[in-house]
Amino acid sequence: MKFLCTDCDTAMKFKDVTRPEQGSVTALFECPDCFTEIAMFLNPWETQMLKSLDLKLGGNEEAAQPMQMVRSQLETAKTEAMPNEFSPGMGSGETAEGGKCPFTSVISDAFQEEAAPVEPSGPVWSAEALERLERIPAFVRPMAKMGIESFAKDNGYAEITGEVMDAARGNFPAQF
Amino acid sequence: MRTYKELPSDAGSNIIGQVTAQMNRLQKRLASVKHTVAIMSGKGGVGKSALTANLATALTLKGSTVGVVDADINGPTLAKMMGVRSATLEYTPAGVKPAMTALGTKLISMDLLLAEDDAPVLWNAHTQKDAFTWRSTMEVGALREFIADTEWGTLDYLLLDLPPGTDRLPNVAELIPDLGGVVVVTIPSEVSQLIVKKSVTMARDILKVPIIGVVENMAFYVCQHCGEEERLFSTDEPLDTAFQQGLLGSVPFDPRLARSGDDGTLYLDEYRDTLASKVLMEVAEKVQAFFEKSP
Repeated sequence: MKFLCTDCDTAMKFKDVTRPEQGSVTALFECPDCFTEIAMFLNPWETQMLKSLDLKLGGNEEAAQPMQMVRSQLETAKTEAMPNEFSPGMGSGETAEGGKCPFTSVISDAFQEEAAPVEPSGPVWSAEALERLERIPAFVRPMAKMGIESFAKDNGYAEITGEVMDAARGNFPAQF
Repeated sequence: MRTYKELPSDAGSNIIGQVTAQMNRLQKRLASVKHTVAIMSGKGGVGKSALTANLATALTLKGSTVGVVDADINGPTLAKMMGVRSATLEYTPAGVKPAMTALGTKLISMDLLLAEDDAPVLWNAHTQKDAFTWRSTMEVGALREFIADTEWGTLDYLLLDLPPGTDRLPNVAELIPDLGGVVVVTIPSEVSQLIVKKSVTMARDILKVPIIGVVENMAFYVCQHCGEEERLFSTDEPLDTAFQQGLLGSVPFDPRLARSGDDGTLYLDEYRDTLASKVLMEVAEKVQAFFEKSP
């Protein structure tokens, strides 16, 4: 998969990838000449296909661990079949002792597993705004959410309301 | 505007490099395996797994070092049949130590990883809906890891017990381009032979994989009281001519063989003088002879 900046005729470079939201991954690519960014959205099937091929967007510099795909992806695995630092169903990098395991962190990163909920550090969403967000098509929702949060932060809004979404709407092709 | 081939590489993910690394890992592991053999049929219920378990045992008894991959990811039975179901896999940086039978045959099977008897193979996913789009890819990935990441050591033979379906061998041939050969299993019924013929065509004509030969399983039944042989399948048709030419052996149905599979005991070790054992040992000799003739 390759991307070309048609203005510069330059190959775009991978920049970043988000963890899946509702199974959909967003990958960012940037033109090294004009710094134009584009976002590529993988739908849940495409995201799952990438996982099943044991491939990582942006490259994988970590050495492969024995049976890493089976060990990290088998939901019905028995605990004792896994090394003591890994149990199925655990969150990213979490161990049976509650600590963080470097191996499972690598695996989780490799497969871009769903991130554990974290406390929001930016603007908070009102119930009405969240409801409107849900109406945005799933495959563009992560990017729209990032864009609205960025707009709110840049314009000093502590809470994202319907009015803030209206103000941000001009920046997005999708209607919400 | 430049085209796909004119751009120097992908955007930085190096997908081809990642896939190449996977295949290199596989090849490195297979470098210490002399011969790889797929046990296939295409048809379900003909006794592929029982034959695999006993062929592995026969080769081991003949002094060969043998590893077995239970390639039936969704219906794994070999751990039970070979009596190693309670084994705990040990993970090391070099790989996963396989389960080992009392005679020293090594085995890797999905059954050794599943939580409960009634637990199906279920993969983590945002949704299981439409899993048909990626599940078979996941299964091939699991098979690749079973072969590449198991610490086999040096093996004379690595046997792969394939699940039913004529589409299974191409997956294995993709992973193991130098597949040494295929042992085909059928039962005497016309229905079985109808399907098995398709698998033979796939192996011989499409994939160009050497056919070691055919095993006719459950060929007849020996009465334990009078010793008379009775055919189990009331077909008037003899075994297909193409199958007869490469026949490795006709294994009689022996209830003790079925019982051994359920009990996880090694039939060949326990009943060395039965007719079925003799035929199975002959099959193993013919497999060895095949590779001695064509190294």
